[in-house]
Amino acid sequence: MTTQKSKNEVFVVKHLRSALGSPMETALSRSRERVNKWFAEEAPLIQWGEMSSPLGPLFAAVNERGLCALDFGRQESEFLQRFDNRTRLEKDPKAVQRVLVQLREYFAGDRSSFNLPVDISQLTPFQRSVLEVACRIAPGQVWTYHRVAEELGRPRSSRPVGGALARNPIPIVIPCHRVVASDGSLGGYSGGSGLKAKRWLLRLEGAL
Amino acid sequence: MALRFEELIERHHDEIFAYLWRLLGNDGRRDAATDVEDLTQDVFLRAFDSFVGLRPNSNHRAWLYKIATHCAYTQLRRIKHRRDKLSSLKHSTAELETASEISISRKDMEQRVRALVNELPAKQKACVTLRYLQDLDYPEIAQILSCSQESARANVYQAIRHLRLALEGER
Repeated sequence: MTTQKSKNEVFVVKHLRSALGSPMETALSRSRERVNKWFAEEAPLIQWGEMSSPLGPLFAAVNERGLCALDFGRQESEFLQRFDNRTRLEKDPKAVQRVLVQLREYFAGDRSSFNLPVDISQLTPFQRSVLEVACRIAPGQVWTYHRVAEELGRPRSSRPVGGALARNPIPIVIPCHRVVASDGSLGGYSGGSGLKAKRWLLRLEGAL
Repeated sequence: MALRFEELIERHHDEIFAYLWRLLGNDGRRDAATDVEDLTQDVFLRAFDSFVGLRPNSNHRAWLYKIATHCAYTQLRRIKHRRDKLSSLKHSTAELETASEISISRKDMEQRVRALVNELPAKQKACVTLRYLQDLDYPEIAQILSCSQESARANVYQAIRHLRLALEGER
């Protein structure tokens, strides 16, 4: 019974495979090219590069608007994981050359601020406003979370300010490390190795 | 690291195109290949829109096949509608042609099988294509078609039975 059943199946499947077969390679490659072309036009392009720094390997990424991500002291895969998985990721040292040059100057003590277009459009308006305030803190100075909250006209929002600073996608360039706790401690830091890195940056800038 | 969309295209484009081609591009229409290209593009476009919401541990392949099957069903309905409109006109001619055939050559046989497959209900057609041409197993087919494995098996059985009876009748 089973043998008869499988014989029947084999008979039909043989005809099915022969009749439906496989598409022509030309049609297949035409479609592949078309889908790839559409994806290249549709998906945002993110170009990234890396350099070694006193804080470990440093990664920077730019999109069409400007510098959109920076991190250090992590693995490459950890850095790349942060991007929307529909974007096109391209390792392109040339695209981030300007960023890396300025960072090298900063680590060498030859630069205290950055002149780079940045993109923080993926953040909420509140997070953006916190980072904009952080950009006003001069090198060598530190502000408290409370002071940042006051600058925003929301003096009771020290904790949300800390949360927004922790989401800074471009540490160092947006100097969230210049914000410390009111009790004199360093507070928190999400870049690289955490507080160790924050202390190192503040020492470099002469704030500690 | 989570799968990126460009990897999804790289890994699965060809099999999705072949699947759609087997479901739709095989019925002798001149514009069939273009239809399949359009539909393949549409599948990846839909996938792109909902890719962010997909869990990293999902079966991406089955998910893509599911989108492809939905797109194919819609297209198959359109084709069937077109065919139904024309069938009354062509019916008598087709009968005469079949009666006049003395032997069935291989090419004719392939054409006949294609015609028989195109007559199958959409779900049976999808099941039998997924099982025997895309070489997927029943748990994956069930996932793609949002049905039980038993239902997938039953659909394959019905399709094979229908095709066998029709083909044996012609031997």
